[in-house]
Amino acid sequence: MINNYLALSIVLFCLGILGVVSRRNVFVVFMAIELMLNAANLGFVAVSRLHVNMDGHVLALMVMAVAAAEAALALAVIILLHKHKGNLDTNIFSLLKG
Amino acid sequence: MLATYLFFGLALLAVLGALGLILFKHPMNGAMSFVVTLISLAGLYALLSAKLIFAIQLIVYAGAIMSLILFIIMFLNIQERDLPIDSNRWFYLAGGIIVVAPIAGLMIKIAKSLPEEHPELIDGFGDVKTVGHLLFTEWLLPFEIVSILLLVALVGAVVLAGKRGVN
Repeated sequence: MINNYLALSIVLFCLGILGVVSRRNVFVVFMAIELMLNAANLGFVAVSRLHVNMDGHVLALMVMAVAAAEAALALAVIILLHKHKGNLDTNIFSLLKG
Repeated sequence: MLATYLFFGLALLAVLGALGLILFKHPMNGAMSFVVTLISLAGLYALLSAKLIFAIQLIVYAGAIMSLILFIIMFLNIQERDLPIDSNRWFYLAGGIIVVAPIAGLMIKIAKSLPEEHPELIDGFGDVKTVGHLLFTEWLLPFEIVSILLLVALVGAVVLAGKRGVN
């Protein structure tokens, strides 16, 4: 039972990695990162059900708060980059390249 | 076994939504299919009897964060010609699958080797009251740190995006 939940969490995390690797649209990359956070949350909650211990729920709450903070900041950065470059391509955003 | 059928249905929806996210060309379509993934994950939390996490997943993730992302996507008014040319997307996707698939297979094998037991629930497992009690006793310091992090993110977002006359 719990094994299936953990397997689903692994599959979702790997799909998130594939999204980050294969896409160049900055929105899709950002949402793929959110997908990986969600997969980690599912793992926390599943193991918490296995051990009948609610620490995993609290950790999932913390991850959601961090994801909300990350969303606010990342979207502000995306707006700024779009204003400066007029583009959504992650390859254009290589400002720190030496 | 209703719970098993529900699990497989929701898991299928979640994986299909994630596939849609990484395969759709326009970020709007990707965001809509990601909402499907988030809502089916909320259903899975309910199946795991995590009632508080279920509600917060629906309100914060599927509600607040996704509507913020959708708002920004619509705000930037992205047309078909503004999208980056993902010409070698399938090449990178194939490379990623070759790297990730063995690791995923190994980890799924490890997950399958866990004990199959399904322990009995204690009273009030995953309730607002019990999780909140845990949050304000054992996890008090991380909770305060997260509140400071949210404040910093709020101020940072206002400073970054609220500037007038950047050029």
